[in-house]
Amino acid sequence: MLSQKADHIAYTTRIDRAAARLSLAYILVAFSAFGIAALFGMLQGMVRGGLFELPGWLNYYQILTAHGVLMGLVFTTYFIIGFFFSGIARTTGGSLHGTALRLGWIGFVTMVIGTVMDVVTILSGDASVLYTFYAPMKASPYFYIGTALLVVGSWLAGYGMFASYAKWRREHKGERSPLFVYLAVATMILWQVCTIPVAVEVLFQLIPWSFGWTPTINVLLSRTLFWFFGHPLVYFWLMPAYAAWYVCIPRIIGGKIFSDTLSRVAFILFLLFSIPVGFHHQLMEPGISPAWKMVHVVLTLAVVLPSLMTAFSMFAVFETTGRAKGGKGLYGWFKHLPWTDVRFFAPFVGMLFFIPAGTGGIINTSNQMNAVVHNTIWVTGHFHITVGAAVAMTFFGVAYWLVPALTGRKLTATANRMGMVQTVFWTVGMGIMSLAMHTMGLQGVPRRTAYTTYMDNPEALNWIPWQRVMGMGGGLLFVSAILLIAILIYLAFFAPKGYTEYPIGETDGEQAAPALLERWTVWLSVLAVLCVLAYAYPIMEQIQHAPPGSPGIRTW
Amino acid sequence: MQPDTEKKTGKISPHTEEEPLKGTFASVLMLGAFIVVCWFAVFSLFLNRA
Repeated sequence: MLSQKADHIAYTTRIDRAAARLSLAYILVAFSAFGIAALFGMLQGMVRGGLFELPGWLNYYQILTAHGVLMGLVFTTYFIIGFFFSGIARTTGGSLHGTALRLGWIGFVTMVIGTVMDVVTILSGDASVLYTFYAPMKASPYFYIGTALLVVGSWLAGYGMFASYAKWRREHKGERSPLFVYLAVATMILWQVCTIPVAVEVLFQLIPWSFGWTPTINVLLSRTLFWFFGHPLVYFWLMPAYAAWYVCIPRIIGGKIFSDTLSRVAFILFLLFSIPVGFHHQLMEPGISPAWKMVHVVLTLAVVLPSLMTAFSMFAVFETTGRAKGGKGLYGWFKHLPWTDVRFFAPFVGMLFFIPAGTGGIINTSNQMNAVVHNTIWVTGHFHITVGAAVAMTFFGVAYWLVPALTGRKLTATANRMGMVQTVFWTVGMGIMSLAMHTMGLQGVPRRTAYTTYMDNPEALNWIPWQRVMGMGGGLLFVSAILLIAILIYLAFFAPKGYTEYPIGETDGEQAAPALLERWTVWLSVLAVLCVLAYAYPIMEQIQHAPPGSPGIRTW
Repeated sequence: MQPDTEKKTGKISPHTEEEPLKGTFASVLMLGAFIVVCWFAVFSLFLNRA
């Protein structure tokens, strides 16, 4: 058992200038990308609803790609890295040492170069391949190189975090690492592992093919490698949100972390079970045998366990805190939660969204049932309430205290109130839009299509009112996004100078964690075994019995 | 007999006395029921269309 000294961190520990500057750089790029992506998202909704027509020089699939790449890959990755660097500094004494800072900055510059290459190629119309960059749609090679640089930069940042963790462990032998650091390290290990297959896809398949060095591509293999990465990508988005739920939310509501060990075990389970599961995105793929699909379905359903552990843990934190404040009866504790504090309210609504989001995930992965929703706009609704609500609203809630904490300013009462308004707009907008998407999806409405009436087919004409509802939801989301950007600019540059707490919760009393949880070689070995079990044979089959190679296609 | 840490600090460890988590229990049951109801709703759609 490891001791718990590390949990007793002064609530007032501040982050030094060097670490704050690094984190802030990542956060600012994240929200810049978010703002542009939100504009494109709103336009998409309007176009699909037939409410707006794009000018000739702008293609629907171009803005769809920009929205997906900027939201799904850029906003999330930059925010997560900035948040983690700041939290690691905060929980290990207030600063990052030289190696972590250097790697953090080199990673940042690499990621920015990659991001610029991606944005330029998308906006110049050479990469409308959507954020999944499925072959045989072929983008400019510079899009793929940009994406590779984005990933490589994030690896470097991850190494910086591992260096901080290693240094802390050297200096605190026999002690349990701070919970935030542990959760950050688990997430970045997941990222390092799951980006390997997509790096292989990009380096050995897409780049040579897009340069014309190889005439054709094995589409089946490229999709398999993509989804080897694509599903854990979702957990790379979710785990930082969970880290905020487990570690920061208890402090914000005036309570204690429910269980340090439960949090760590949940993250280990996420690490193990969210990677070898990609075939549940390929359940309609003809080149993969049903048996292997079933293996992945079973492993995917194993992720339900840590997800429900997280839900239980959150309910328990809320209940124990509410009861300590005088709540009685079955749900009397509910009204004692800080409902007017945006730092709590935004992530809480995100948690509520995660209930239908997780449920939708179970439906998607239920093998044959996937046929009901596959490639319909239900899936788009599902990941909008997963990433666009559960994750994004947690990130918004975090940003409201993180940005002023990093810039040495105050989260003022007015900013808090405006944040509440922004959260309500986002909630209503996302609620309307995702409800429309789910409803249409169950009727079979395809995703990833521009406005069409399918030659005035009566069935398709019935969908139009829902498409319009979806567009209106997108409009509300855009208003909310503008408000968010305005509040964050205020908090970063104009709010009064002062102190904003970086909330890090503590456990109640003594809680020992098994030392095994910090033996990463054990968990990495288990993960390697699971990945080999789930992927080695099917990938070998896809190479040995490759389908006919496909030349590149430009569909736009 | 109390553990040593409790004797020293006088605090009651949260694990010696169970917290009342009735609301949590009810909430996770409702969550489970929601998942089951939604799953069967889509499953019935699947059966009807098959």
